[in-house]
Amino acid sequence: MGSMEGLFSGFQVAFSIEGILFVFLGVFIGTFIGMMPGLGPISAIAIMIPVTYSMDPALALVMMAGVYYGAVFGGSSSSILLNAPGISGTVATAFDGYPMAQQGKAGKALAIAAIASFTGGTISVILLMLFTPLLASVAVVFGPTEYFALMLMGLTAISSLSDGSTIKAMISAVLGFMAVTIGIDAQTGTQRFTFGNINLLEGIDFLVIALGLFALAEVCILIFNRKDSSGGMSGNIGSLKLSREDVHEMKGPVTRQSFLGFLLGVLPGAGATIASFIAYVTEKRIAKKPEEFGKGSIKGLAAPEAANNAATGGAFVPLLSLGIPGSGTTAVLLGAFLVLGVQPGPLLVQDNPEVFWGIIASMYIGNVFLLVLNLPLIPYIAKVLKVPRPLLISLVIMFSLIGVYAISFNTFDLYILLLFGIAGFLMRIFSFPAAPFILAFILGGMMEQAMRQSLTISNGDWLVFVNSPISAILIGVALLSLIIPLLKKKPTVVSDENNLDV
Amino acid sequence: MILRPINRKLGLALTLFAGAYLFLSYQIPSYPYALVDADVVPKGLGFLLLLLSILLFVQKKEETEQEKQKRTIPKKELYVLLGVAGFILIYIFLLEIIGFVIMTAAFVFTCSSFLGYKKYKVSALVAIIFSLLLYLLFNYLLLIHLPPGVLPF
Repeated sequence: MGSMEGLFSGFQVAFSIEGILFVFLGVFIGTFIGMMPGLGPISAIAIMIPVTYSMDPALALVMMAGVYYGAVFGGSSSSILLNAPGISGTVATAFDGYPMAQQGKAGKALAIAAIASFTGGTISVILLMLFTPLLASVAVVFGPTEYFALMLMGLTAISSLSDGSTIKAMISAVLGFMAVTIGIDAQTGTQRFTFGNINLLEGIDFLVIALGLFALAEVCILIFNRKDSSGGMSGNIGSLKLSREDVHEMKGPVTRQSFLGFLLGVLPGAGATIASFIAYVTEKRIAKKPEEFGKGSIKGLAAPEAANNAATGGAFVPLLSLGIPGSGTTAVLLGAFLVLGVQPGPLLVQDNPEVFWGIIASMYIGNVFLLVLNLPLIPYIAKVLKVPRPLLISLVIMFSLIGVYAISFNTFDLYILLLFGIAGFLMRIFSFPAAPFILAFILGGMMEQAMRQSLTISNGDWLVFVNSPISAILIGVALLSLIIPLLKKKPTVVSDENNLDV
Repeated sequence: MILRPINRKLGLALTLFAGAYLFLSYQIPSYPYALVDADVVPKGLGFLLLLLSILLFVQKKEETEQEKQKRTIPKKELYVLLGVAGFILIYIFLLEIIGFVIMTAAFVFTCSSFLGYKKYKVSALVAIIFSLLLYLLFNYLLLIHLPPGVLPF
């Protein structure tokens, strides 16, 4: 199927009445959840997975893509209105968005954010559409050796790029890998770490990890902050209209940062957070009036918003073409795909074109929905921030518990969920990033299989990983990405920027 | 140079964990016909964690103020967390016995009140509507059957 024809069939899925309804639902719910400080796209997607169980896979995935977009946009809204970023990808949005809101221009700030997001999102979808089939056609020839090297690189990249200590990020990744070794070994049938418990034979479900490590752990933080009175910003947010000068001013940064953001999103481990910070800093550096940044500059708001949405689209490239997520969020999305019986990867375009192109088409539609439907609704969605925190906390806990129960019908998994909730909370307070954990958990099984297959093919010769040029290069990059931050004093871009701007 | 007790403690705890994991890895029975057996990856992971924990223990990086602030939790709040965890445990234990609707409504109401929400009427109403709505959604729309427990439907 040619890409135009494919896209057309994709639009048919996404443009059906159900398609539009589910994209809207996804975008709306995603925005809703993303606005709550603390709850990000990972929690949003994880909470929504149980709802999709009995749905048509194409429609379900279309909705999930909407949830993802919506959550990123919702995060920007709470950054602008409350200076409380829902997710780390929208921290940079608050630098100039919140000052604008304080000047009574919240409506304008939201409109700028929405338009910048729309542009960033749309440009990245176009690039995604061009790149993914291309990369997929290259990846078809990948054997287990190359896949192992690729996944290793993805893991080390996210560890070295996540904020805070690289050692802690690596520990987090190793722990995630350990969690996936629980259960029956797929190749020999040997039981590992099951302690004779039959509930552990099939291992731990990824939803238990995602909901425990993210949703429940975030609930703990919400519990601490439950008394924070949440913003008086709702009600009057001012006009949403932009003047011609505003549009002129944001044109440059938005275009530049959309492309840059997309590229950073494609790289494993980088993603929305880093893209938005880099966008903010580069625009500040090349701006004619850098002193305006931080005081409500339109450029300073538009740049990170375009970049984080473009990166969101970029993150889909490795996921859809290689079947390998490059970030915590796409790892959870991969889990959502697998639950629905869809295996992303080089064969997705060939085997399930309606799913592949349906997702791409729904991204276009999701972007439009964010712009034309969600924006006017923001003042109303913002009312979610007025929902009393204690009530909200109880409901989020319930959603997590039901989500896990609905896949296993087994209370044992709920105890494990609670356990991972506690683990996630401990990781949070001791500054261990959780994203490498979930990524390692998702990739771990595939990595082990790929590694053992490679070694079986090579008759136990470990040199097999450096004999293939592609895997040798990938492993080299993986090692470099670990060694460089360990040698440097300050490990990441992000923490540098935090120190600089806070 | 001040000591970094927190990273030391964490490093020590993780070293012990790695040790326990390694011990269990060596208990994994071997399979005679496998070229690469089931214990290879766990052993590798165990040693890797051991190495990283030691690195964490000896590294010279100091804790930032931000990190320090993150882990200081007032005692009272810790009890609140334990309380909520207790509620969740009770919920899990009784879910299949008493049933989804009653337990969920009870949890939402008690937990909200416990966390300081004083409008009992609102919270009771939300609890009942939320649990009934979800039950109907899952049982009749999504065909995922949640435990009815003592209720007849």
